[in-house]
Amino acid sequence: MSLFGANTGFGSGGTGVFGTTTTDSHNPMKDVEVTSPPDDSISCLAFSPPTMPGNFLIGGSWANDVRCWEVQDNGQTVPKAQQMHTGPVLDVCWSDDGSKVFTASCDKTAKMWDLNSNQTIQIAQHEGPIRTIHWIKAPNYSCVMTGSWDKTLKFWDTRSPNPMMSLQMPERCFCADVVYPMAVVATAERGLIVYQLENQPSEFRRIESPLKHQHRCVAIFKDKQSKPTGFALGSIEGRVAIHYINPPNPAKDNFTFKCHRSNGTNTATPQDIYAVNAISFHPVHGTLATVGSDGRFSFWDKDARTKLKTSEQLDQPITACCFNNNGNIFAYASSYDWSKVQSQYTSGSVISGKSPSPAAVVH
Amino acid sequence: MTVCNFFLQGRCRYGEKCWNEHPRDERGGDYRGTQQPSRGGYGNRVWINPSQRTGGDYVQPSSFSRDGDNDWSRGGGGADVKSSDFSFSGQNRFSALASHSHSDKDVQSPTDDVDTIQKDMEIWQTSGQWPFSCYSVLPGKLSGFVEVSPEELRLEYYTGRASGDLQAYMNSVQQLADQWRSRVQELRTMSSSTRISVISELNDPSSQTSTHEFGSSASGFGTTSSSSSSSSGFGAGGFGPGSQSSSGFSFAPSKTGFGATNTQHASGFGSGAFAQPPSGFSAPAASAASFSFAGPAADNKSSAAAASSSVSAFSFKPPPGGSSGPADGGGFGQSSTRAADTGLFSAHSDLTAEELKEFTAKRFTLGQIPLKPPPADLLVV
Repeated sequence: MSLFGANTGFGSGGTGVFGTTTTDSHNPMKDVEVTSPPDDSISCLAFSPPTMPGNFLIGGSWANDVRCWEVQDNGQTVPKAQQMHTGPVLDVCWSDDGSKVFTASCDKTAKMWDLNSNQTIQIAQHEGPIRTIHWIKAPNYSCVMTGSWDKTLKFWDTRSPNPMMSLQMPERCFCADVVYPMAVVATAERGLIVYQLENQPSEFRRIESPLKHQHRCVAIFKDKQSKPTGFALGSIEGRVAIHYINPPNPAKDNFTFKCHRSNGTNTATPQDIYAVNAISFHPVHGTLATVGSDGRFSFWDKDARTKLKTSEQLDQPITACCFNNNGNIFAYASSYDWSKVQSQYTSGSVISGKSPSPAAVVH
Repeated sequence: MTVCNFFLQGRCRYGEKCWNEHPRDERGGDYRGTQQPSRGGYGNRVWINPSQRTGGDYVQPSSFSRDGDNDWSRGGGGADVKSSDFSFSGQNRFSALASHSHSDKDVQSPTDDVDTIQKDMEIWQTSGQWPFSCYSVLPGKLSGFVEVSPEELRLEYYTGRASGDLQAYMNSVQQLADQWRSRVQELRTMSSSTRISVISELNDPSSQTSTHEFGSSASGFGTTSSSSSSSSGFGAGGFGPGSQSSSGFSFAPSKTGFGATNTQHASGFGSGAFAQPPSGFSAPAASAASFSFAGPAADNKSSAAAASSSVSAFSFKPPPGGSSGPADGGGFGQSSTRAADTGLFSAHSDLTAEELKEFTAKRFTLGQIPLKPPPADLLVV
C-alpha cells in the first residue's frame, strides 16, 4: 500500500450540519473532509458498486494520480492506496464486481487497477487524451468504453491490446454516461449521440442538442422499472436539459432549467453564469445533484421540476460529484476547474489550481 | 394539445405562454404578452418548458422562474422586448416561414433569431461564463466560435508548464479571448452586414464548414475556426473566423507545422484530427514554440484581395520553425500518396477562390458548383 505525501488531513467533524452562517467558505457545509486529498484539482470521483462491502471512493486528479479512500459509516475517511499515470487523470470507473478500477488519463492511455494486488496494467490506447471511461456489463460481453479527444469511442476487452470496436464520432468526446443498455456521449460542437449496447455497441440516434452552448456533463437516469430512459445534460452556461429518449410528448416532457447562476430573482444586475461541472443521480430516489463552477451543489427533483436544496457557496468551484451505491453518501470535490481563464488573461495573472479537497457528506 | 377556448373567444390571458393550442390563423391582437405575475401561481410547473418559449429567457432571474419574454413571434408584442422589435408590429412579416404547429422547433422569423442572438451575446459578455464555446440558435449554428473545453485548455497549460514555455500558452489564450470578444461584440452590435451573414447562416446550416479542430494533443495548440460561406460581415475579426468577403475558408492552421510529433496527417480536408488549409491564404505559420497563433495573426488580414492573390501561391508557407509535413514540392503537404495532378484533378492553383471554397465546404452550394474537377487532396473518402 503506497503512502500519500505529507498532506494535512483536516477531518473537520460535524457531519450533516447544513446551512450554517459560518464564515468558513472552505467547507461551509461542515461536511466531512477527506483526508489526504490530492495535490491538484480533482477531475472525477467514483464510489464502489454495491457488490463490494463498504464504501470506497476513488478520485482522479490533475496531479496524475488516482487515490482510493475507504469511507466509513461515521463519515471518516481512510486513505488506502494510490496509483500514478504520466498525465492528468480525467475519468475513473469501477468494474461491476468492485475488484477493478479503470482510470483514463491525458497520457492517452487507460489503465486497469486491480485493488487486491494493487497492480495496474494498461488496457487502452488512443491518439489523444482519453476523456471518459466506463465499464459495460452486458449479458454476452463486458468491456471498457473509452471516449477520447481523438473523436473515437473505443471498446476494449481488457485482455487484448486492440480494441474490440472503434466508433467514430463527429467531434471530441466531452462527457459520457453508461447505464446498460444505453450509453450517451456528448461531444464538442453540441454533438449528442445515443448508443445502444445490446449484442454489440452501435449508434442508436444522434440528437439535436437542446442546449445552445458547449456540453459539459451528462448523466443517464432511469425510470421506475430501473431502465434507462433519458439523460440530463449540463452545459457551460448554467443550464441543464432533461431529455427523454422516447417520451410520449416530447414538447412537454423534455425541458431545460437554469442553475448555478447568481442573482436569484434580481433582474436588474447581470447574472453571473457558471458552468455545470457534473451531474449525478441518486440511485434510489432518482433526484439529481448538480455541481457547478460557482462552488455550490444543488439537488433537484426532475419529475416535480423543483429545486430541493442548494448548498452554501464554497470558495472554489466544485469539479466532481458522486453518490454512493445506496445514496447515503454524497461526495463532491472542491477545486479549481479552470473556468476563470478568460479574466485571468485580461488581468495578466496566472492562477494555479491548488488546495483541492474532496469532501464527503452523509445524509 | 387542446385548443384554448379562451383564445378562440379572444380573451386568453396567457397569450404566447398558454399551454393550450392557439390555432394560428392570424397574428392579431389576440394575445397579449403577459408578465410573470400572471403565471406566478401555476402549480409545480416551475421550470421553463421549451415548448412555451424559444430561447429568449436568459435575462430571467432564478432557476425556477419562468420567462416573461416569450419570443416566439416578437411581432405579436411579447413582453419586455426591445423597442427595435416593434418595427414588425402585429403581423409577422415572415409569416410564410412560421409554422403553424406548437412544436419545439417552431420556425422563428430570422429577425427574432437575430434578436435572440443579440441578447445572448450581451448575456455572454456580462455573465462571465466560459467563453470558448460554440453557440447556436436553432436550427443553425453560428460560426466564428472556437470550441475548447476547460480541460483541454488546462492540459495545454500543463504541458506548457512542463516544457517551460508558458508564454506561448498565454499568447494563444489571449488570442482566443480576443477573437471571442470581437466576435461577440460583432454579433451584439449587429451591423447590417453581420445581420445578413447571420441570417443566411441560420437559414442554410448545411453550408457551414465547421471544422473546429482544436488540437488538444499534448504537444501544442492548433486551433482552427470555421468560417461559413456567408461571412461577409465579419470584418477583421482577428484570428479565426474566416473573415473574407466571399470565400469563407475554414483555414486550419496545420498543426503539423509545429514540430508536433503527431503523425496523423489527414490527407483530406476535414478528415483526421486536423483540417488542412487547402489554399495558401492562411499560412499556419507556427512559431517554434508550437503554437499556431503567432503566425496567422500576422497575415490573416481577411480581405478578398489577399485571398485571391495567394491562391496561386498556395502552398502553406512553411512555418518559421520548419515544418514537418506540409512543405513538400507540390505544395499541398498532406496528400501523401496522391499525385498532385494526374490530369484527373485540378491543382489548387487552377482553381479560383470560390471554387476552392466549394470544394472544401461540406456541401456544394447550389449554383456555385465548380465545373472543374477537384484537387486530389481535397477528396475525402
